[in-house]
Amino acid sequence: MACPWLRQCRRWSTNCTSRSLLETLRHFNGRSVPTFSTACLRRTSWSSGPGSEGQPSALRTQLLPKTFTSTTSLPRHTSRLLNPTLQSCCCRQNVHTDVKLKDPFTLAQKDLTNLYDDIRKELFVSREELKSLCDYYFDGKGKAIRPMIVVLMARALNAHSNRAGDLLPGQRTIAMIAEMIHTASLVHDDVIDGSDKRRGKRTINEVWGEKKAILAGDFILSTASIAMARIGDNTVVKVMSQVMEDLVRGEFMQLGSKENENERFKHYLEKTFKKTASLIANSCKAVCVQVTSDPKVHEIAYKYGENVGIAFQLVDDVLDFTSGASHLGKPSAADLKLGLATGPVLFACQQFPELHALIMRRFSSKGDIDQAWQYVLQSDGVEQTKYLAERYCQEAIRQISKLRPSAERDALIRLTEMVLTRDK
Amino acid sequence: MFPATWSRLSCKALSSRGLRTQSVLASSGPSDWGKVVSDAEKIVGYPTSFMSLRCLLSDELSNVAMYVRKLIGTQHPLLNTARGYVYDSRSNLQTRGLIVLLLSKAAGPNHAASDLLLQDMVSGIYPSQRNLAEITELIHTAFLVHRGIVDLKGWTDSDGPLKDMEFGNKMAVLSGDFLLANACTGLAQLNNTKVVELISSAIGDVVQGIYSENNSNVEEDGPTDCVDVAAWEERAFLSHGALLAKSCQAAMELAKHDQRSQRLAFKYGKHISLGHKLNSDLQPFVKGDAGEPASFSFSAAPVVFHRQLVGQERWRQQLQQATTLRTQLDYSKLLVSVKSEKGVSSAVDLCCYHGNRALEAIQAFPSSEARSALENIAFAITKF
Repeated sequence: MACPWLRQCRRWSTNCTSRSLLETLRHFNGRSVPTFSTACLRRTSWSSGPGSEGQPSALRTQLLPKTFTSTTSLPRHTSRLLNPTLQSCCCRQNVHTDVKLKDPFTLAQKDLTNLYDDIRKELFVSREELKSLCDYYFDGKGKAIRPMIVVLMARALNAHSNRAGDLLPGQRTIAMIAEMIHTASLVHDDVIDGSDKRRGKRTINEVWGEKKAILAGDFILSTASIAMARIGDNTVVKVMSQVMEDLVRGEFMQLGSKENENERFKHYLEKTFKKTASLIANSCKAVCVQVTSDPKVHEIAYKYGENVGIAFQLVDDVLDFTSGASHLGKPSAADLKLGLATGPVLFACQQFPELHALIMRRFSSKGDIDQAWQYVLQSDGVEQTKYLAERYCQEAIRQISKLRPSAERDALIRLTEMVLTRDK
Repeated sequence: MFPATWSRLSCKALSSRGLRTQSVLASSGPSDWGKVVSDAEKIVGYPTSFMSLRCLLSDELSNVAMYVRKLIGTQHPLLNTARGYVYDSRSNLQTRGLIVLLLSKAAGPNHAASDLLLQDMVSGIYPSQRNLAEITELIHTAFLVHRGIVDLKGWTDSDGPLKDMEFGNKMAVLSGDFLLANACTGLAQLNNTKVVELISSAIGDVVQGIYSENNSNVEEDGPTDCVDVAAWEERAFLSHGALLAKSCQAAMELAKHDQRSQRLAFKYGKHISLGHKLNSDLQPFVKGDAGEPASFSFSAAPVVFHRQLVGQERWRQQLQQATTLRTQLDYSKLLVSVKSEKGVSSAVDLCCYHGNRALEAIQAFPSSEARSALENIAFAITKF
């Protein structure tokens, strides 16, 4: 199967870091990849992998459903984005500042310092109990990855459009709204899934009951919607309200499963887009429409968010299998327990067709969860899902690289890598 | 039949305004409301249910409909909401949307606003106003659904299988969210951020209203609950008035009518909803003895008035007297106690007051068919 080649690929990528800087750089900065790099890749990969000849193309058809392959125009064989690569590239080419070495969190910090305070101020409500429900998750302990992407994107776009100075107030509002919409959807999801823990805390429904949890979620949404309207830009309103629709449609998609395998994968990716990526993509677009009316730039911002968002969720789905309960703040294999077949299971099903029946009955029979877990561990499901996430990140980089260079743009490139390597 | 004093009271309040449409006043019975509404529907061209239909026919909600069948035989409130939405003409009347349309028509076209085209109007209503009316209904329905979420902690096996309730909750959360999301995208299409802000704030108001309703329901087990009339009105405005009031105002904003018209429209919507709420709260107390009132809420207006009038001590006594051996409340006994005091008539007075304030607000609009219909609605809510 595909796994030996994949491993080979990884080995290559780790070995290759120090010497293929230039090539990798070309991948990042321009869409056209010189044949040179592919040749180099072939050499390395083939030489140490006897008997693997011809497999990459086979892999492409096996590993990636048609829906995915058709959307990517990436160089085939780059399998990994490398941290050292980027850092050294920064050192070499942009010596004038060392900001670029800073990680995205540090760079976004100044715009996010009071984010949670400001959100809690927006959530103004006289009823004390409702207030404490609404504030519950805005305790500053979240990763705030969405606001971070939004402010970095906003600054990268401002630089691209020759705008000096700070974020526009409306752009910062989008960062807040993104976190609020995300949180509201978490609150509702926890009721739908019957979860009792989140981020190491008891969930709102666990503490206050389902009824109040739903109302709190609705209230956060209405507050986000007010803040969005106050920006005073109809396009922004349209872009952000698309998110609300996608979120709920994604949730509905999660109720059903598809009989056909290819359909199922498409369904999974579409659901992933709607439930996770749409918020990031549209938030990126919403900060974009505030600075430029150029649809090409809108597309860049949107595509970056879309691809990073899908990659983010794919990694999340992997972590559901690989991470211990203590790490993620929620029990592992939570998705299986909810009857959901995510990337690792869907890939595993290609190797072990026995999984099909389990997926169709949503792991509801006794022992299904353990069995599915075993199949996933024995298969390359986890690796392949990671690989898929890498591909999405590459596409995100390709998109964002179309913007003029800036510290924030480079931070967004680095961020893709953090998305891939995070372990919680 | 209800005591003559009430009908006199309400008639007096109305006739003192010296308004027409005596015919509506003369006829009585529950068909009144239905007739007022169906007459009014003819004025606005076509009813408001198009966006709701679009939603109902969507894949998502057909899915829910399929799943809701699984709930048959369970006690999940979603079942009743769904049933009511399809069968029960009273809750399916969509009067909020209708009122928004009537007000839009009563206010008429705005010739000063150059970007609004007269030829776009259908039956004297701008398309954006029609969309707004539908959005108002979507939001209202969404909260009917979210209101019916069940707290699972208090659920015991004797109440039925927990699984059914979990499933019902899931469906209720999803379908309510779906309706709200459609309302959001619909709002965005209106291209007016002021309206988006106004309606979003109305959503927040509804949440706060329902939230405090929940809290008081818990408290009503203990007699210490000290809801007074002012608090009742504030809460009723949030949960029942804000959405309509702000939608009415938004309808004026969409036609670029001035601040004054917006204020008046808001007023009409606010007082109509409060009057309507009082009217429905009063139903168990003004209906004849024929219909046995199974129960009534302690946060219903007449009870709140009653408790404020007689004081905590008397109320506690009355509660005790109405409590049977097995700590069950004899509601018919309690009903008699409430009826014997002035709580009911005070609530009727307040209902008339709101009806009159609504009439006052609408007088500023030019006389028209649509305005008459709005007047009739104001009359109808003060009739029992």
